[in-house]
Amino acid sequence: MSRIFNLGLPVLLGAATFTLNVASDPLPPDLTYRPLPSLPFSAVKETDEAQKPAVTQRQRGLLESRYDLADRPMPGVMMSGGRKAVQEGSRVKLPAGETWSSLAAKTPQEIRDRGLLPQGFLPLPHVKQAAGGQVFPESEIREIGADEGRDLRRFDVDFDLPDHLTPEFPPPIFLTTHPELGDVSRGDLLTIRNFYEYMNGIITPVQMEGLRLLLTPFPQEEFNQTEDRKVAMQSTGVACLDCHSNFHTNGAFHLTPDVRPQAERFRLDTTSLRGLFNQQIHGSKRSLRSVEDFTEFEQRTAYFNGDHVSATRKGVNLPDRPNQVAMMAQMQNIIDFPPAPKLDPFGRLDPATASALEIKGEQVFMGKGRCGECHVPAQSFMDNNMHDLKLERFYKVGQTFNDQVAIPDGPIKTFTLRGIKDSPPYLHDGRLMTLGDTVEFFNLVLGTKLDQSEKEALVAYLLTL
Amino acid sequence: MRAAIMTVVLAVSPCCALAQIGNPAGLAPDTSMEKPGVPAPHQTNYQDRLFVQLITAGGRAEIEFGRLAAGKTSHEDLREFANRMVDDHNKANEQLKSVADKSKIPLPEGLDPDHKNIRSDLEKLDGAAFELAYLRAQIVDHQRTAQLLAWEIGSGEDAALQRFASEKLPTVLEHLDLARTLHAKLAGQALFAPDTQKAK
Ligand code: HEC
Ligand code: HEC
Repeated sequence: MSRIFNLGLPVLLGAATFTLNVASDPLPPDLTYRPLPSLPFSAVKETDEAQKPAVTQRQRGLLESRYDLADRPMPGVMMSGGRKAVQEGSRVKLPAGETWSSLAAKTPQEIRDRGLLPQGFLPLPHVKQAAGGQVFPESEIREIGADEGRDLRRFDVDFDLPDHLTPEFPPPIFLTTHPELGDVSRGDLLTIRNFYEYMNGIITPVQMEGLRLLLTPFPQEEFNQTEDRKVAMQSTGVACLDCHSNFHTNGAFHLTPDVRPQAERFRLDTTSLRGLFNQQIHGSKRSLRSVEDFTEFEQRTAYFNGDHVSATRKGVNLPDRPNQVAMMAQMQNIIDFPPAPKLDPFGRLDPATASALEIKGEQVFMGKGRCGECHVPAQSFMDNNMHDLKLERFYKVGQTFNDQVAIPDGPIKTFTLRGIKDSPPYLHDGRLMTLGDTVEFFNLVLGTKLDQSEKEALVAYLLTL
Repeated sequence: MRAAIMTVVLAVSPCCALAQIGNPAGLAPDTSMEKPGVPAPHQTNYQDRLFVQLITAGGRAEIEFGRLAAGKTSHEDLREFANRMVDDHNKANEQLKSVADKSKIPLPEGLDPDHKNIRSDLEKLDGAAFELAYLRAQIVDHQRTAQLLAWEIGSGEDAALQRFASEKLPTVLEHLDLARTLHAKLAGQALFAPDTQKAK
């Protein structure tokens, strides 16, 4: 024992002095911090506008090579507000000559070495990765423009997914404080112009003030007044509910604030705020421990990419913790999941109302499919943990797709599956278009070898949640 | 075999061959356009130029240290790794030079001061201590190189340099993985069987 120690010590010592030298390595000054623009606003805008058709076409090309983007609604299945159909089937394209079951029969190494992972399972790049930033769907841009006269349109990029693959708009709002009322949105989008009228009498003064703050625009990285913006006119900014429309999501996306360099940042699809009251960890990577923390910090992250320096320059809003943050959090905490009439108080299917197919799906979910090990029914189909699915077992890391470098996802938190049919696209970056895709994804990644009838049952079950 | 895999990957993903489209806020102010929005070939911004300096110096160090290691080690896997570093980085540096020449970026001479320090540290060591120190340096250097390549992909202007960076990044990550695996293996041996390592 002591012999090993004696001999090991010089080795370690050598290594230690060595590290000191390495630590002085020169690296570029703008790896972590965002560089200031090198050109005036007008020149950047002109080039951005000239690039836009190529940017759009390139992203479209990537999407079409990865997915079947067709509008194929599932007969008779609508999202909770009844405004948009749920899309059927799986849309990720298979590599030539493969089927889902032939793929699932191969080892991860074989799939990696032969380049057989369906490309739709890879991280999804931002429409313009090098610039990144918030991108809003057309419906949101139109509604905010009409209602508030505020411009959410960027001059460099458009939203990239077809409308039928995004959540219904505007989505319904369900309150934990008033289950008997059902949807209280009146079929409209909550904005700073209408919220008081719509919510008057249903919510408390504290919740009302929280709601006002959640609808108030504040400067953001791309929507602000500096030359380093991506909106034509100087902008008053963005409101929380511009992405979390009616406390759900409209599919708006940006890049994770939690990773650098820029090319390796992954896309983030806006999460729904429904059922937030039951979540113990927030953010796919940050694992913040309270709604208050996340609400306060969203001004640093969704707004400014985790760059407080840039935020200071563009005019950051820092809500007061005991007053404003608490009220914003309390408003978010009364947003319920959509009703799931077939679930009992344990989150299990009620055999009296569920179909045979749905019940078979639940059996797969809890059994052979192993879904229930992370998506625990009694805990809103979460486990309040992060898991590393190790998808990189199946592909060669470091490849570049539309300027995004695909690196391993690492641990990501388990998302809830309550109301899941309402929130396509799926996974943290929105790389999967349908529930059928998520079933194929997890079947491959978890190696559960489900057969076709089990997969179909699983999708039918997910629709009941 | 590897070449065959690359062609397959490229064939199923035409996207990878497409040009990078950077954030124009980072273009050099004197950039001339081939057509609106598309910089003419071989124009560079400061990121491209710094990238070439740092990667060339790094590549040169990999070659020098690789030769040193291949001569000093008696460990078969490590010698193979060191020789591969010499080969791969020789090729990469030649390729980079041909792109840099077209873009009129002068290349640095010799080793940079940091790598000179590392070399003089490495020269003083032998046996297991040398092998571990070499691999630790390789791990840090490849981490750094991966960062620089991703930085160029995100911030560069010269499309040819960006393509070079995209093409090399998977290989650099593979080298990193090899270095980490070898280091883990040799560190374990150094701790648990120091005598055999030392005797050789
Ligand atoms: C780009 C549009 C966007 C805007 C604007 C935005 N968010 Fe978010 N929000 C997101 C995304 C994307 C996530 C997921 C983050 C992640 O996974 O790391 C998120 C996550 C959250 C979460 C955590 C949800 C969970 O499941 O853990 C909360 C709470 C939240 N946002 C509140 C806010 C508040 C409050 C504001 C205004 C201060 C705001 N958001 C503004 C996009 C946005
Ligand atoms: C090891 C834990 C684990 C298991 C087992 C698991 N999941 Fe998940 N699930 C996760 C994690 C983590 C995420 C988030 C992954 C991401 O975004 O990259 C997730 C995300 C999802 C999503 C997307 C949620 C959203 O809002 O986008 C669906 C749908 C889903 N899982 C269904 C399933 C099904 C069906 C099964 C069983 C076949 C399953 N999961 C098994 C951990 C798990």
